[in-house]
Amino acid sequence: MSSPLRLNFSKFPEGGLIVVIVVLGILLSIFGGEVQRPKMMVGPDGHLTRAMEKDASGEENPAFVKVNNFFNAETLTQIAKDTSFFAIMAVGITIVIITAGIDLSVGSVYALSAVGGAMFMNQFGSSGGPWCAVGGVLVTILVALICGALNGIMIVGFNVHPFIITLGTMAIYRGIAFVLTNGQSIGGFPQDFRDFVRQGVIGDLSLVPLIVMILVCIVGGIFLARMAIGRKVYAIGGNETASRYSGIRVARVKLLAYIISGGTAGIAAVLALGYYGAASSGDGQGYELTVIAGAVVGGASLFGGKGSALGAVLGAIILQMIATGIVIIGIPQSYSQIVTGVVVITAVLLDQFNRWISDRRLLAQTAHIKKEVVQATDTPVSVN
Amino acid sequence: MIKKVTLTVTSLVGLLAATSFAAEKTYVFGIVAKSNNNPVFQAAKTGAEDEAKKLSQEHGVNIKIDWRTPNEEDPQKQVQAIEQLVNAGASGIAVSCSDANKLTDAINTAVDKGVPVVCFDSDAPKSKRLADFGTDDIDCGHKVMEQLAKEMGGKGVVAILAGNQNAPNLQKRVQGVKEVAKNYPDIKILDTFYHKETPQDAAAEVEQVMQAHPEVTGWAMVGGWPLFTDNALKFAPGTVKVVAVDALPAELGYLRDGHVQVLLAQQVYEWGTKSVDMLYDKAADHKNPPSSFVKGDLIPITKDNVDEFAKNWEKWLPKK
Repeated sequence: MSSPLRLNFSKFPEGGLIVVIVVLGILLSIFGGEVQRPKMMVGPDGHLTRAMEKDASGEENPAFVKVNNFFNAETLTQIAKDTSFFAIMAVGITIVIITAGIDLSVGSVYALSAVGGAMFMNQFGSSGGPWCAVGGVLVTILVALICGALNGIMIVGFNVHPFIITLGTMAIYRGIAFVLTNGQSIGGFPQDFRDFVRQGVIGDLSLVPLIVMILVCIVGGIFLARMAIGRKVYAIGGNETASRYSGIRVARVKLLAYIISGGTAGIAAVLALGYYGAASSGDGQGYELTVIAGAVVGGASLFGGKGSALGAVLGAIILQMIATGIVIIGIPQSYSQIVTGVVVITAVLLDQFNRWISDRRLLAQTAHIKKEVVQATDTPVSVN
Repeated sequence: MIKKVTLTVTSLVGLLAATSFAAEKTYVFGIVAKSNNNPVFQAAKTGAEDEAKKLSQEHGVNIKIDWRTPNEEDPQKQVQAIEQLVNAGASGIAVSCSDANKLTDAINTAVDKGVPVVCFDSDAPKSKRLADFGTDDIDCGHKVMEQLAKEMGGKGVVAILAGNQNAPNLQKRVQGVKEVAKNYPDIKILDTFYHKETPQDAAAEVEQVMQAHPEVTGWAMVGGWPLFTDNALKFAPGTVKVVAVDALPAELGYLRDGHVQVLLAQQVYEWGTKSVDMLYDKAADHKNPPSSFVKGDLIPITKDNVDEFAKNWEKWLPKK
């Protein structure tokens, strides 16, 4: 009988990731120390302004407040916001990875869809109303879905490995973005749209990206765990041939997976347009590595058949906490790529080790069953 | 007796501690350059650190430089760095903008939260930054083309090497090159060639263009990226005229061997020193710079003065 104190991760594999996040948070809170930050207050005009305090001589000076370098509302919100772009894309790419595919073009889809939305909204300028913003959002997501669909059509239609197709589209989509923009950065969006994405939900904490990330995680989780189509995604990743023979329309499910991957890149691009206020063909360069790393750290197996939306989000959070932790503790920036790479390799090795353990357990169980059958029937049985 | 000595010593120690506490005010200035891959920003870092040491000694304070430059150019990462610096309580921030559009809001938020911001090299002119120290980029482009036209005798085919297509400072330099080129009817601009701002990518771009367009007789390089590699220019010295911006040590060999005719040196070390000066004046004395644009002059380096100029780099680059 298992002890009530033993953590059982078999029924909740993401539990281990949550433990890692909590432990990382505790370590960063302890080793990050304290910082002194300008104290702000709401002025008579309703805007935030510097708080002043009088010193011993009666002179007014700007006031400061001491906070823990990691564990404070602004830093936690910032980590959540910075994670959200990658986490949203990681949910989409997890679905692709579960089918034993890969999508190297997510960064380029992010850029091209952002450019598409930017070009649309730029025509109306900052005074364009909410409907211009809605149009911009729709254009962004539509471009992303088209890119994802093209990826899927080529992969299933030509029967070429997704690595090759998405390696090519990674260059094509970014090239299209460059030709469309002529290398310029495009801004000048409806102010309503910018204000909506950047609005302070609690005080001046900008939480819209975090809320969108949570919504995408919930929808992705329902898709994978509660819908028949989600079970088909896992089945294909587990054994594509068996799935085909059992009547699953493998090509259609794979196509859907790449469309979703594109779609999540589009959602991330919408948030980026609102938060950063501009788009260019250079956006998202190298993001595919971080997004794939987040998915793999979150438990998705590059061999297929394994992964979850929640795991993708938690994996992205862990990577962002490591990146922020490097800054907080004061390790030189140049080490951040090394650390990310080591974390990704470690996650993949742990995944392979886990598979090896599962295979050996299955083998042991099979041998045990074979022995029982032989004893019961007194007939040799070979089990392949 | 022992009690008196102990009391005296304790008082002295306490006084020293109190004195050092009172005098040792700390300022943390964050520097967010475009990328760690570009050596010009390493000179800026050295300048910032040297100026921080100098001001610390002069004023009895502790000035720290927090270098938050992304490894590769990424304006989103620059925004994150600015936000992190504000959250970490930085006393001031200096930034060279990869994309002014994206960085304007982050700079404005930092300023609204009481953190002064200055720009260097590449400005965000619509932001609330205090000032920009750097090259007048249009003027820089003018000078590149004027020098190149002189070297080419006013005729030929020119290719422009322009780095990151999104960088506003580089776009202005290209504009400046094209404006002056119009004054020379016998000079034709072939095209503007962009590339990732690493020496290898830049050198590969030059080689590809020369193979595809052997008619090119002049290169207007608005940054010196390919010259940080050996053997980047595969043509015989002098057969193709080259004028480039920046004159770091790795580039000077090309002047000496005649592959490059003129290097226009930006004040890359002063990007760091001036930024720290302006931030310290604001943070400590609440003084604004005299102007919102502080111009850094370009120094033409040729074969004649290259050795004299080269001595400066012993001071300007990070000590190993």
